[in-house]
Amino acid sequence: MRLRVGAATNIGRVRDLNEDAFISRVSDGLFVVCDGMGGAPAGEVASQMAVEAILAQLNGGDRESTAPPAANRVGYLVQTNRLVEAVRRSNHFIYTQAQQDPERAEMGTTVVSAWIKHHVASVAHVGDSRAYLWHNAQLEPLTRDHSLVEAQVRAGLVDRDASVHSRHRNILVRVLGREPDVEVDANEVPLQQGDYLLLCSDGLTGMVPEPVFGKAIVELRHPQRICDYLIDTANANGGNDNITVVVVEVMSSWWRRLSDRWTRQPNGEHDA
Amino acid sequence: MPSLVLQYGHDILKEYDLGESLTIGRLPDNTVIIDNPAVSAHHARVSWDGKNFFVEDLDSTNGTFVNDKRVIRHQLLDGDAVIVGKHKLVYDQTAGGEPALHTSAAPNLANLNDTVYLDTRKHKELLAKVTPPAARGTVGVLHVLSGRADHPEYRLDRHTTVIGKSDRANLRLQGWFKPAVAVVITRGEDGYVATRLSGRSRINKQSLTGRQPLKDGDVLSVSGLSLEFSIRPVAEESLSAAFPARDHSEMNRRVSLV
Repeated sequence: MRLRVGAATNIGRVRDLNEDAFISRVSDGLFVVCDGMGGAPAGEVASQMAVEAILAQLNGGDRESTAPPAANRVGYLVQTNRLVEAVRRSNHFIYTQAQQDPERAEMGTTVVSAWIKHHVASVAHVGDSRAYLWHNAQLEPLTRDHSLVEAQVRAGLVDRDASVHSRHRNILVRVLGREPDVEVDANEVPLQQGDYLLLCSDGLTGMVPEPVFGKAIVELRHPQRICDYLIDTANANGGNDNITVVVVEVMSSWWRRLSDRWTRQPNGEHDA
Repeated sequence: MPSLVLQYGHDILKEYDLGESLTIGRLPDNTVIIDNPAVSAHHARVSWDGKNFFVEDLDSTNGTFVNDKRVIRHQLLDGDAVIVGKHKLVYDQTAGGEPALHTSAAPNLANLNDTVYLDTRKHKELLAKVTPPAARGTVGVLHVLSGRADHPEYRLDRHTTVIGKSDRANLRLQGWFKPAVAVVITRGEDGYVATRLSGRSRINKQSLTGRQPLKDGDVLSVSGLSLEFSIRPVAEESLSAAFPARDHSEMNRRVSLV
């Protein structure tokens, strides 16, 4: 499975520092976006710690986790359980560091991670950084925010369309680093040629409406150009927060790409 | 004029001059509005009795604290910290001039757009439980109609079921020239979706190219293996094992709190 990847992070137009962090490792099929919180220098540190800890966990030999999976993990693939476990351990690591340093006691970070192995993307996340799948000209969310607003939407108290404007949007109910243990949400999605996976921090989703993501993918196709375009758009719309975008393209075979080019409509739209 | 200085962590958010009285709460009709679920609609009141200012708890859910002690009614002294949820209101009796507080901590005005972690434990627990996985009383089953397979039937109780020749496959294809991973079936909130990865597959004789939701009674053909998909109710005891029962009355009550 050939992957083509783009990634970019940007401070935005309002913040004094970039508390986002990401890793994009095509060789491992591992992609992580973290959005730190807690102010300087804590937020920066927390997000960086998280991406490094997760990478270290997954690179720490090929051994399977010795701990039995939590009850709600039964039924997931081994690779998914490993990713979830890596995220859980990174939480514990950040929490321990925070306890030792009063300056960093309030630090925390969101995380969204995707690990692509054997044609399946395992997704693990905590907080309001998101993953999306672009498949067959449709954008499908792979994560549900751990925010107050999302809880309200799911409880039927707030309409999803209205939730975009909620004042509670920036209140998170789960993050890494603030409790000794954390519940990590998992998802699995098979990937086909022509699919795109998009990971991002809320600096993108808060500034750019979702339909623009699909438009960028259809018109630009190239992952790095998609990332750059989305970041420019977020900044053009205000850039209220740090923006991080990672885009992974599951490459089609050369003949498929050629036929796509032939069948593409002049306005850039075409049937996948 | 005496004042109350609203603080969150080390950040000074706002200063309120104390006239006759003022109220603190979550709703917009309060003088001091703290839009945080840990704060009650009308949480506390500060009033003047002619000589002194008093803070009174208005029967709030999480209580009003002064200097870490829970209070019902308390006479405010200079420097007292009234704690409401995660916010602090410091009583400053000294009139006029820059209050001592402002110089002690750098006047770092909080950016109200900052992401906040709701760490009032109780409320966090309540909210986490607002979103239980939908209780699923059914499970998909693949019944082998024809072709070679290890079992006559496969329960799709996993999130992802892999069909192929690979060792990782849950439903192993046998024979030569079979794809390592032919089809993957994922279980989502809305049901089951089949995704073709390699080889030739069909659903009800229609070629499967991308992804397709599976309906009760669909016949899935994967590399010569013919499988019937059906949705079955899960027996009560196995359901409770797979999806531990939740107290829904409790949940609804919690939801209304939000």
